[in-house]
Amino acid sequence: MSFEPVLLRRWGKPNSQSLETYRADGGYAALKKAFAMEPPKVVEAVQKSGLRGRGGAGFSTGLKWTFLPKDVQGPIYLCINGDESEPGTFNNRVLLEEDPHQVLEGIVISGYATKSTTAYLYLRYEYGDCYRACEKAIQEMYANNLLGKNILGSGYSLDIYLHRGACAYICGEETGLIESLEGKRAWPRIKPPFPAIEGAFRRPTVVNNIETMACVTQILDRGPEWFQSLGIPSENPKDPGSYGPKLYCISGHVNKPGLVELPLGITARELIDKHAGGVWKGRKAKAVVPGGISMGFLSADELDTKLDFAGPGKAGCLGLGTAAVIVIDDQTSMVDVLYNTCRFFAHESCGQCTPCREGTAWSAKILSRIRAGQGTLKDLDTLTDISNSIGIMPGTTICGLADGAAWPIKNALKKFRPEFEEYITSGRRSQSFEVAGAH
Amino acid sequence: MSTVFINDIEIEVGPKENLVQAAERAGVEIPHYCWHHDLSVVASCRMCLVEVGEKKPDGTISMISKLVPACQTPAKPNTVVLTNSEKVKKAQAQTLEFLLLNHPLDCSICDQAGECYLQDYTYKFGNAQSRLNEPKVQRVDKYHIGEQIALFTDRCVMCTRCVRFTREISGTSELLVTNRGSVEEIDIFPGEPCNNKLAGNVVDLCPVGALCSKDFLYKKRVWWLKTQNSVCQGCSTGCSIHVDQEENRLYRLRPRENELAQGSFMCDDGRFGWKYVESESRLFGPRVGKLQVASQHHAVGNSNHANGNGTAVSHAQVALNELATVDPWPTVLNATRQAIKSVVDSGADRFAVVLSPMMFCEEAFMLAKYIKSINKKITLALGPVPVVGEDDLYPKDYKGEPPAADKVKFTIRAEKCPNRLGVEAVLKHFQGEVIGFETIAERLNTTKIDGMYLVGGYPDAWLDASVLGKLDGLSTLIVQDFMNSPLTDMATIALASATFAERQGTVVNHSGLAQEVQQSIRGSTDVRPDGRLLFELSQRQGMYKAASIRTEMAKEIPAFGAFAGEIGELGIQLFTTVEGKSA
Amino acid sequence: MSGLTEVAKQKIRDLLPCYPSKQAVTLPALHIAQEEARCVTREAVREIAEILELSPAQIHDTLSFYGFFKDEKHPLGDNRIWVCRSLACMLRGGDELLAEVCDRLHVSPGQTTKDGKATIELAECLGACDGAPCILVNDKLQLRMTADAVVSLAEGRA
Repeated sequence: MSFEPVLLRRWGKPNSQSLETYRADGGYAALKKAFAMEPPKVVEAVQKSGLRGRGGAGFSTGLKWTFLPKDVQGPIYLCINGDESEPGTFNNRVLLEEDPHQVLEGIVISGYATKSTTAYLYLRYEYGDCYRACEKAIQEMYANNLLGKNILGSGYSLDIYLHRGACAYICGEETGLIESLEGKRAWPRIKPPFPAIEGAFRRPTVVNNIETMACVTQILDRGPEWFQSLGIPSENPKDPGSYGPKLYCISGHVNKPGLVELPLGITARELIDKHAGGVWKGRKAKAVVPGGISMGFLSADELDTKLDFAGPGKAGCLGLGTAAVIVIDDQTSMVDVLYNTCRFFAHESCGQCTPCREGTAWSAKILSRIRAGQGTLKDLDTLTDISNSIGIMPGTTICGLADGAAWPIKNALKKFRPEFEEYITSGRRSQSFEVAGAH
Repeated sequence: MSTVFINDIEIEVGPKENLVQAAERAGVEIPHYCWHHDLSVVASCRMCLVEVGEKKPDGTISMISKLVPACQTPAKPNTVVLTNSEKVKKAQAQTLEFLLLNHPLDCSICDQAGECYLQDYTYKFGNAQSRLNEPKVQRVDKYHIGEQIALFTDRCVMCTRCVRFTREISGTSELLVTNRGSVEEIDIFPGEPCNNKLAGNVVDLCPVGALCSKDFLYKKRVWWLKTQNSVCQGCSTGCSIHVDQEENRLYRLRPRENELAQGSFMCDDGRFGWKYVESESRLFGPRVGKLQVASQHHAVGNSNHANGNGTAVSHAQVALNELATVDPWPTVLNATRQAIKSVVDSGADRFAVVLSPMMFCEEAFMLAKYIKSINKKITLALGPVPVVGEDDLYPKDYKGEPPAADKVKFTIRAEKCPNRLGVEAVLKHFQGEVIGFETIAERLNTTKIDGMYLVGGYPDAWLDASVLGKLDGLSTLIVQDFMNSPLTDMATIALASATFAERQGTVVNHSGLAQEVQQSIRGSTDVRPDGRLLFELSQRQGMYKAASIRTEMAKEIPAFGAFAGEIGELGIQLFTTVEGKSA
Repeated sequence: MSGLTEVAKQKIRDLLPCYPSKQAVTLPALHIAQEEARCVTREAVREIAEILELSPAQIHDTLSFYGFFKDEKHPLGDNRIWVCRSLACMLRGGDELLAEVCDRLHVSPGQTTKDGKATIELAECLGACDGAPCILVNDKLQLRMTADAVVSLAEGRA
């Protein structure tokens, strides 16, 4: 029994990006349903659905909306996070390239629910085709009274502006995005105040993910109960559960890398074997990234981990993240893999706070030296120490990039330590290409 | 008020304190770099991480599991703070290890040594060893940051205090952060160096030896310096300052924190404008030049040369020449008294005394009291009040325009003297009014004034040619000043006085705040600090002590009533003023 | 070196009403400047600062944060080709692809070929992991790349 795609329904259909195609397929019915409700009721519906943000943090979307102060005078901003840059992740790209109206409808609904006055769609620069598709779709919306003043006679008005990024991962962090939008370097802000109280341009602000917006459209169209019917309810009262369909990205050493839509909760093994053609070249998986590299690694014996919001955490990973699964085969050295992730975070660290700025660069240098055959066993202890001392969880950094940098180190050294020790004691040097000027 | 628990200490805290401030008041140091009470909170250095929790009504304490920066945490009732737990100590040591990873460790050639927060905190909170086994990031020094400012880039800890200063206090926004991540550096936009009038403050703000003052660079190790509290003489803002000296040579001035005065900063004009103290043009000893004595029977204008009639004054001249190796001052002061008496004897309205707004209160008081004790009809007037342009308000906007009145954070005032209000209060008491300098200069044309006692004390030339011309015609011109000038050349008696660094006394700023200037250095032997000079001129018994004179002032002049109490390091509000106008 | 054209300045001004603060137009303005001149000149930074009522230092601060913007000493070639080096691409030969491309074009990452036709850059995850190894040509993604294909693009043959 295979799952009938909802979010990816129009993927691959001719002219899937156009308003005409979208409408013919039932598009903008959800918006009309939303307009028939009072905004607080829309918020309630989204809360009831159990939708949790798809950007990586997994915070309850409806609950986040309730943090906005009531009876605000003046602008409220809705920022849509299209800066998707977590390695392994490309679901937002597909959604925007193939079906921008689904996302944009969700934006208008969310704007209505939160009483936002202006929406900024912060789009990473590299998604040029997405930009052009959105630009066109937005034009169509304005021309058809789906944006601008008094949308569909509802009394609600909203403007959307596209704002292109410039290749910096940290712009995907909520307040990093806001700082970048405001024209400054994307140094995330200290919290409190939280964006709902003081966000973009010092006004109440909500930041939501692209896939989350598409979910909002479907929740309003098909009802919160439909959303709740998919996924896995929570076992413990503190856990808000994992509901709705999820876009899973699979890449790396599989036969069929790609994007697949499934209800939340599929195991890593099933995802790889049933939906990605299995590990390539007849090999076995040594390690699997469960949700973008920030989440760390599942080892080969942890592949039955459910990929919902709770599962990866049980296996010692940071969480579900963006549900971007990367498969690493048993012919690949974890030293090379860890070097790659450490170098990524060293390059992307915004540099504002001491532990992340220095810790990410230091760990990349240590891994580089290990790869050059000059590592010592003490280095592994140093790396572990670094990984335990940087992050928003221990409280030592301003944002979660440091936690994302630390987790691959933690998981790699905990789950693959013998491989690292053997690499070091054997004096081996890495065969893969070390790019000059890599930092 | 609310109770906050810091380690095992309980204190009351006010409404707007963060935990760094609360801890400080409890005598506990929470190390920090990026936080400064005048700048926005960024909590980026992560040096001030502490454990916080809450004391519940039932007495139990629940602590938050993660560390929080003390600088961004308000001190609320029943907050519990741990600054020395194992977790906190580990975090402090780790932060310092991170900061020192790419640091050149060049204390032996770094100006900051001895007053460096990396040194101090590493000693108190850091590890002795680093685990670094990689090449350090290399960075190039930047001498182009400003006319007065050099950046030793590899020492920077990216606290961004300097950048925030230029954006939030001076408003000139010259400093920036360039690049991203561990290769970030401070820099300027090419061609737009940090040369605003408050630029020197970034050197003070820099907790390490990254930003250095080119003026002070490599001049003196700070542990040799002795520091005194003082007040900048540059304008009526009266910034509280520290004067650093060694062996009677000044090395630098720094702002002294005083929320009653100017706050935390000072301007570059004041900071670097002390070189005149060492000028070759200083008046290094008293001079008795040509003396003109108006006898009872001669009209103003007759001059008798020193080697003519045997007057007491000419005897003094001879005596002076003979006693070149002995302290000349008793003789000079005697000659001064005689010279004054000579003019006054032929009419009190023939003598006038000009008190400069550069004088200290005690000095003005002693001179005025002494003169009036000779004869009540001697005129006392105020010296020139130098005004340059308009008050300079900060922070500027992008065009360089000043801020709205309620947004001003620093003012460099147009009135370039430190004590007009103090001297005016003295004049009002003894003269009944304040006669301005233009008025008294005018009277040189129109009245019978034949003798003047002028107090200067300005770093620059303070009289124009036309006034000098009029003064040249006087029979008796006594000048108390510290710079050689055409005025002192033409003086019949030149009393070599001292700069602010070489004497002690009180000045009153634009808002009526009286602050004490401590003496920092001894001037050259034949220079007399003005307080002592005037004390001895008026033949008081004992030795000049500013505090004793103030007690006397408090008794005799209601406006100086507050001088009855201790002045204290931050000064005392003498009178309240509407900005700039005297009480 | 010269600053912005009048057209570019007008494009920047046209964006001012879209945001409640002028500073927010910084990033779009920098994009406009670079699109026009293949780099952001010092003069352009001054002109942007003028329009947005900021100091040139503030514009430069933002500009330098994003490795995206080139200064007048390092203008871009006709095409800017970014080769991804993040994990998913590395696992499918991304590092080898980059090595071969750089070797055949005689450049290091970040440099422009001698004929000015292409600038080869390192990229972090381009969001096309389903087609690893992938590249970005200006702002269009190209998936499932080979060294031959990239070199063709760089030489303007594709």
